[in-house]
Amino acid sequence: MSVETTTETAPVPKKGMNILFGLTLLGLLLFLWLLLGLSTTSFWTSNNISNLLRQGSMTAILAVGQTFVIITAGIDLSVGAVVGFSSVTVAWLLQQGVPLWPAMGITLLVGVAIGAFHAFGIVRMGLPAFIITLATLTSLRGIGLLVTNGSTISISNEAFTNFSRADFLGIPSLFWMVIAVAIPAYIFLHLSRWGRYLFAVGSNSEAARLSGVNVNRTIYLAYILSSTCAAFVGLLLASRIGIGNATQAEGWELQAIASSVIGGTSLFGAVGSVHGPLLGAFILATINNGANLLNVNAFVQRIITGVLIIVIVYFDQLRRRGSR
Amino acid sequence: MTGLYDVSHRHDDGATTIAKHPVPKGQPILELRGLQKKYGAVEALKPANITFLSGEIHAIVGENGAGKSTLIKLLTGVIRRTSGEVFWCGDAVQLATPNEAISRGINAVHQEVVLCRHLSVAANMFLGDEINKNGLMRKRAMTDAAQAVLNDLGFNLPAAALLSDLTIGQQQLVATARAAMRGTQFLIFDEPTAYLTRQESAQLFRLIRRLQAEGVTIVYISHRMEEVFELADRVSVLRDGTHIGTRKIAETNDAELISMMINRTIEQIYHKETLPIGATIVETRGLSGPGFTDVSLSVRAGEIVGLYGLIGAGRSEFALGLYGRQPLSAGEVHWQGNKVRIRNERDAMDLGIALAPESRRDQGLCLNLPIGLNINLPVFDRLSRGLTINRGREIENADRQIKDLKIKTPTRRVLASAMSGGNQQKIVIGKWLSHGAKLFIFDEPTVGVDVGTKAEIYRLFARLLEQGAGIILISSYLPEVYELSDRLHVFRQGRLVASHTYRSASHEEVLTQAIGV
Repeated sequence: MSVETTTETAPVPKKGMNILFGLTLLGLLLFLWLLLGLSTTSFWTSNNISNLLRQGSMTAILAVGQTFVIITAGIDLSVGAVVGFSSVTVAWLLQQGVPLWPAMGITLLVGVAIGAFHAFGIVRMGLPAFIITLATLTSLRGIGLLVTNGSTISISNEAFTNFSRADFLGIPSLFWMVIAVAIPAYIFLHLSRWGRYLFAVGSNSEAARLSGVNVNRTIYLAYILSSTCAAFVGLLLASRIGIGNATQAEGWELQAIASSVIGGTSLFGAVGSVHGPLLGAFILATINNGANLLNVNAFVQRIITGVLIIVIVYFDQLRRRGSR
Repeated sequence: MTGLYDVSHRHDDGATTIAKHPVPKGQPILELRGLQKKYGAVEALKPANITFLSGEIHAIVGENGAGKSTLIKLLTGVIRRTSGEVFWCGDAVQLATPNEAISRGINAVHQEVVLCRHLSVAANMFLGDEINKNGLMRKRAMTDAAQAVLNDLGFNLPAAALLSDLTIGQQQLVATARAAMRGTQFLIFDEPTAYLTRQESAQLFRLIRRLQAEGVTIVYISHRMEEVFELADRVSVLRDGTHIGTRKIAETNDAELISMMINRTIEQIYHKETLPIGATIVETRGLSGPGFTDVSLSVRAGEIVGLYGLIGAGRSEFALGLYGRQPLSAGEVHWQGNKVRIRNERDAMDLGIALAPESRRDQGLCLNLPIGLNINLPVFDRLSRGLTINRGREIENADRQIKDLKIKTPTRRVLASAMSGGNQQKIVIGKWLSHGAKLFIFDEPTVGVDVGTKAEIYRLFARLLEQGAGIILISSYLPEVYELSDRLHVFRQGRLVASHTYRSASHEEVLTQAIGV
């Protein structure tokens, strides 16, 4: 029984509703840019825009990986720690004389392994995602600090460190990396069956299982993708700052989750997209950047970010409820 | 009269305004005049005039989408009416919020139990109305009081047990007991027996009669005609949002009611097709697993094998075991003559087994995803080429099932949660029609499904049989398995205890075997 009469009045999600929401966020982003362009002289300088794109890029990639996990109704708290740990891994490998490409490859594989461990903890040991990823968050920081003995490992490979400063067609290479991640991510989530399985598992894993979906494999996939994105961001960060440091990227997991949620992902699972978290990440980056330009106290910036998250997500909720 | 159990210890903050105007038995207690509800342009309930008499049991019947839920929601203050008037004990009332309804003594017991699974039975019964002393809860006093109520009602339930340890049927009884002790004057039951065993239903009926004797007015919504005739004094029929009429139960019969509901005669609802029986599709030998022991049975092409038993008798567990969801501990499965091992759901699907599981909500559907995705879920690998899904075929398959099964939705993009029970069941069936199978297992396919959809589902069975498939039909509704099954197996306590061919045993015999007296 239940909501029989709503059959006729059931919400017909417009085909473009997701896109529409994406456009609202895009509008917000452009509005912020316009506002900052009018109120500061330094915003629309190529230097600042490059800087903004670099800042936002890393969070954006993390947020995309995080979104896969959140769609399955999980959470990955470890991504910030994985970023720091990966910067240490690649720096250490380079220091040991491992050539650049194998060093980067191994670092990404470490990311895969961390994700697989998370899924193992969830699927086989029955731990909540929150717990297992919280545990690796603290452990990975510890391992990284042990390896570096509490200090940092500097990277002397210039090809590696120049990458993050380079531009291609006038756009920072880091931003190109976002595109390089976003396109396959979009194909995976929105056009492939594995994307559909992520949504199905997040909505009702038992129904998915009885429909022949390999639920365990889907969970492995989500966590591996998240950790691998984080390891990739670790490489980008190491390139940008030229060192491996286990304490880097503190709190980035929260930035990634916030970006994802601002981008319309539901923490209850089964709702999310690829373009949403990307826009969310750049909205957050713009707010920080603008606050810097406007000389807003760094402490106040944090408060503003918090308030904005509440406001944006609240309006998203209203919009969803309104469409019901 | 403030209901059965006035364990009310409210330090009266004025929340209870009931019993100010005691209405004599047989006089109108709640009157609806031109009550109407519109969603946008759609009239979910056309202006209805229904009078509920004090102390009567008033049944409301109608197909899904007939407006029953809308009516309940209006009466319990969940939604607000578009127009019309409601008179409670002679006074015009708004019923604008659930709290207003409750404070006037109008309560509802829903089909899906809405209680806290992690709290005890007693804590649930007192939820929101706990016994406090100096700001601390008096757990012991509440447990004792709850136990006293349960004992008095003849429910053999421990008040200290966790709700999650009870069966769904028992939880339903707790929900009823909760409503009974809250000074209810007007109690609405929304398909309460959908998940109840026979004994549990009988207990519930005793309670309902008792509440009636205490002067409580009962509204009873059900798809089951025999319950309506057993319980009700009067019955109102809704169809397509219209109040078709109200009859005294003594002056009507089920044929009349059903024709009022659907304009279709009862003969068309149960119609046994006689089809040639083909080769054996599946045979289990001594199959054991969690919840079932030593089950040997077979299913042949073109036949329906019914599994009857009380809830928890091992029927659904057997189905899940055969489907690879639960590990088997002993026994063999032979598929079209070959011994096979089914280790997981995929193995079962690849062989050609489809399972429409017991609970649509928990096992059948991804409720907050679109209908189309649900229908295509088992077949995405087939709809994909290389990395990506063929969008055209995805849409075509979903739309075809929606059309074939007459799922009432404007598009495949509507979320499954927005559909009625009957339509949700069709979505589950649509999944398996798009996948295709030789053996279809239907576990309680008509629970919470209206008569019209039931008839459609039965016709679908016939179609599947004609195509050479075999069906395992699990049902707690005896007339259904009894009439539809070519062979009927009775389960009790995890074992197959008796087998009958079509109509070779009486209802009473089958029931006795299931209960084990």
